[in-house]
Amino acid sequence: MKSLLVKSATILFPGSSLYGRVADVLVENGKITSIGTGIILPEGAGEADGSGKYLAPGFFDLHANFGEPGLETKEDLETGAAAAAAGGFTGVSLMPNTRPPVQSRSEVAYLVNRSRELLVDVFPLGAISQERAGKDLAELYDMHQSGAIAFSDGNKPVADSGLMSRAMLYVKAFNGLVFSYAEDPSLAGAGKMNEGTTSTYLGMKGIPSLAEEIMVARDIYLAEYNDTKVHFTTISTAHSVELIRKAKEQGLQVSCDVAAHHLALTEEALTGFDSNFKVKPPLRTHEDVAALRAGLMDGTIDAIVSQHTPHEIEYKNIEFEIASYGILGLQTVLPLAVCAGLSPELIAEKLSVNPRNIVGLPVPALAEGDAANFVLFDTDTHWELNEGTNRSKSSNSPFMGQQLTGKVHLVANNGQYFTF
Amino acid sequence: MAEKLSTKHLLGIKDLRESDIGLIFNAADRFKDVLNSPVIKKVPSLRDITIANIFFENSTRTRLSFELAQKRLSADVVNFAASSSSVSKGETLIDTVNNILAMKVDMVVMRHPYPGAGIFLSRHINAQIVNAGDGAHEHPTQALLDAYSIRERYGDVAGKKVAIIGDILHSRVALSNILCLHKLGAEVMVCGPPTLIPKYIHTLGVKTEYDLRKALNWCDVANMLRIQLERQDIKYFPTLREYTMLYGLNKKILDSLDKEITIMHPGPVNRGVEITSDVADSKQSVILDQVENGVAIRMAVLYLLASQRD
Repeated sequence: MKSLLVKSATILFPGSSLYGRVADVLVENGKITSIGTGIILPEGAGEADGSGKYLAPGFFDLHANFGEPGLETKEDLETGAAAAAAGGFTGVSLMPNTRPPVQSRSEVAYLVNRSRELLVDVFPLGAISQERAGKDLAELYDMHQSGAIAFSDGNKPVADSGLMSRAMLYVKAFNGLVFSYAEDPSLAGAGKMNEGTTSTYLGMKGIPSLAEEIMVARDIYLAEYNDTKVHFTTISTAHSVELIRKAKEQGLQVSCDVAAHHLALTEEALTGFDSNFKVKPPLRTHEDVAALRAGLMDGTIDAIVSQHTPHEIEYKNIEFEIASYGILGLQTVLPLAVCAGLSPELIAEKLSVNPRNIVGLPVPALAEGDAANFVLFDTDTHWELNEGTNRSKSSNSPFMGQQLTGKVHLVANNGQYFTF
Repeated sequence: MAEKLSTKHLLGIKDLRESDIGLIFNAADRFKDVLNSPVIKKVPSLRDITIANIFFENSTRTRLSFELAQKRLSADVVNFAASSSSVSKGETLIDTVNNILAMKVDMVVMRHPYPGAGIFLSRHINAQIVNAGDGAHEHPTQALLDAYSIRERYGDVAGKKVAIIGDILHSRVALSNILCLHKLGAEVMVCGPPTLIPKYIHTLGVKTEYDLRKALNWCDVANMLRIQLERQDIKYFPTLREYTMLYGLNKKILDSLDKEITIMHPGPVNRGVEITSDVADSKQSVILDQVENGVAIRMAVLYLLASQRD
């Protein structure tokens, strides 16, 4: 790696004595070699102007899809990692929504080995149940041993309460973590969007908020009963926030995240039947968006995730009803967090620090001799997501062609760095 | 006729202004005279225009009504029955329709099982589209002919009270009717089993009633929807028998009301389920007038849309 000097950036590394102050950081051979002011640019080194920008530990995404193995026409590890890096992420954990699902040591090991050369660290999530079928537990310990960071059945909610309870309890033996993707399928029914004013106006069956909340409530009860951890991913309703807030006040081991698009978009975006707004959980109401933002501010919601879900155009440019769920997310998390009113400090907390704490990974530090793992971003540069700036293999983003505010300028990790 | 519709397509009542509805009704009045003429049953208005009726879902009634309207206007007509499919199973909607358009078709009348299919298609193809029903979203020509039939019966739609009774959740007739009747100044109530009434239906400005007799006592017009078990993915009521016990309209109930109300039904009637035969055939029923008006309304819509063309 070429040496790199970041000049005059505002430091947002938690625990650093320079937190909130402006400093220069010199990186040589992938390691931080000097931190201070007025560092002279070494000969041949690259330089990044950090003035008006923030230097934080690289962002970490708890919830993304890269399509490997089996769905490489949507995304592969290289294009996914490129999109992640462009979004400021130096680590991602990948959902097992693959073919086959990541459900045994071999898929976990495949992803770990395939991603060794990337700037972005890849952490597979292992399936909770075999074939994600919601019946029998997958080999959770074996996957844990080979590098699965936590467990999830991806976009399939665990409908069977007994199975969810056993999964939470079983992983306790090795301090594992189960993700809850909260949706009661029998209440969600044939719904394709949020149940509410808009679904009524569009003649569409709705997915009631209740379908999510009843599962959040169930899994809080299960965590309490089993005395275990649980992490809720992509919660989307005001009442879910309230349930988790109460569980935290009760002292239960509960954490949660929200997808960035749920902080910015509402069900009203669907009036044109544009499938680039078809996501699950569905886009909800203004009240839900306000509650999610408030939940981030008061600490109820720990982290923001991309829920990056690439799809080929063939799966999106069809009737809304049969279009696939999901949108690109990695490159728009930062601008959507800015749009939701988060300060740079809170962005670093929700995107860099808390996600790693949830899955028990060390948060990169800013110290001489440490490996460089950071992102340099701002909250005021305007840029456009378009075919030129999009790094994903797919282009199913509702923000395509739009001006966004808040830009990633530089990421560094694993002895590499990219500038944007 | 100098006046034109404000839309290029007829995708839903949503896109129509009150003036558009007036325009359609006035044209339908003239076409109804043509239909009832002993000599000229046909006008040359759409000569040299080719219309494809593309039905992704079975519908004998609506297709026949459209086809007759097209033939009375001297259009060339092709009918195409297709099945809707996902990516993995065959041709996409855009491809299907573009294949038909490549054979030089000017206008598409489409019935589709999914809400918004016509709106989606209008963004991707280069022909005029008439929505003949898209899932439980809209069925604009049905709503227009229903309102037209009320206007015919009472002289005006404004101020009338209309109860829509039955499966509101799966009905495209209900939504388009609510929107159309509101645009024309009528009051609307929906009535049916609570499991078949969308939770947020009140946001459309309608009253909700679960008791059939109360709904009938309130209204001037009762629009009895067809119970379509094939549209229900799961059971929303135990049996048809029990549905009829709660929401079936029979002569005894009809005769016990304080006033003489008008009975409508979009057809085909399940006799003995939502209404009994003696109600369907009574002088209070305008079911067959609706069918006749359907052709006139569809002639009016096709004629007005065709006159938008360059």
